[in-house]
Amino acid sequence: MACLNETKIQDYIEGGLTAVERSLVRDHLIVCAKCNASYQRYEKLEKSLGEPVYITPPLIIERNVLRMLFPRIPSYSSIFALLAASFLLLVTSIYIYFDFANNSIVQAFQLTSHDTSNWLGSIIKAISTIFSTVYVIFKAINAFFEVIFKVNMGVEIIGLCMLLLLSWSFYLLSRLVFKKIKGSN
Amino acid sequence: MSLDDDQVLIQKILAGKRASFEELMKKHNKRIFGYIYRMVRDEDVAIELTQDFFLKLYHVLDKYNFEYKFTTWAYRICYNMVIDHVRKNPAHIESLENDTIIPKLMDSENYVKEDTLDDLVKEEIREYTWSVVNRIPPKFRELILMRYLQELKYEEIADITQLPVGTVKNRLFKAKEMLKTELEKDGVLK
Repeated sequence: MACLNETKIQDYIEGGLTAVERSLVRDHLIVCAKCNASYQRYEKLEKSLGEPVYITPPLIIERNVLRMLFPRIPSYSSIFALLAASFLLLVTSIYIYFDFANNSIVQAFQLTSHDTSNWLGSIIKAISTIFSTVYVIFKAINAFFEVIFKVNMGVEIIGLCMLLLLSWSFYLLSRLVFKKIKGSN
Repeated sequence: MSLDDDQVLIQKILAGKRASFEELMKKHNKRIFGYIYRMVRDEDVAIELTQDFFLKLYHVLDKYNFEYKFTTWAYRICYNMVIDHVRKNPAHIESLENDTIIPKLMDSENYVKEDTLDDLVKEEIREYTWSVVNRIPPKFRELILMRYLQELKYEEIADITQLPVGTVKNRLFKAKEMLKTELEKDGVLK
């Protein structure tokens, strides 16, 4: 039998020959060193290909696909926290906007509390005290910036920055609290 | 008609069970990404195409005919996406000599640490063989990937590529001949 061509050897490995052909090839492989060497190499190649080296897909694929297909609806805790933080920001922004420097709202609060008795008067007094304290803190921060960096930012700007920071912290805190409450239920 | 695992998952997805799609994606992600990555040889592009594939799969899932094997149908979508990409970006897919990125991305799970020298040699041959797969021309590479990475039969490959079974077989033989020649040239197959 003449030497085997590459296709014949591959067909033999894959079991694609008839019984007679297989037996002829087998006999030839015993006597022909050259064809046998070629056969051995194809065997090794087939074995290597049969055990693929997989490449790990990055996790981002699954995450992105799921996010695009099923966008997450914000949880109740996030919505509540956002509402609470927005309320805080809104109330204090209004306070800053309405003549924060002159403390007119604080004064108005204090005047109102004089005519109001019991718990309502106490609440108004407490609020005006908080506002006055916050105002003093803002003034102190502004003075600090002026001394250290020689920049007068203004109490209103400092106030706004602090409020944004505060609101954000409040948002995160509220989310945590709401989550805990939800978890304990 | 008895359904296979994939088909059961598809039924659940079509019934509105999102978790089943996640399961289906997890099951096929490795093979799909492996195929795309080895065809386009650019990690970012492979990630994008794999994502696009799964998004498309989800949207056309209701058109799936349960009489056919899911993998053949899905891999055909994948094959067509890669072909489209290659047509638009021919430079991406051409054979490259530098395949240093492949060993970095090899799946550590599939590494079996063997003690014997013989097993180490076999392991090295296996890794080298698969790095050479990336160097052969795309029309041969895709068939090697379908046959050995995606474990498809000749008939299924023919169905996906729309080539006659004989052509698929001949092309695969030719691809293996190329691989053997390359490995012999590099002194890996002796």
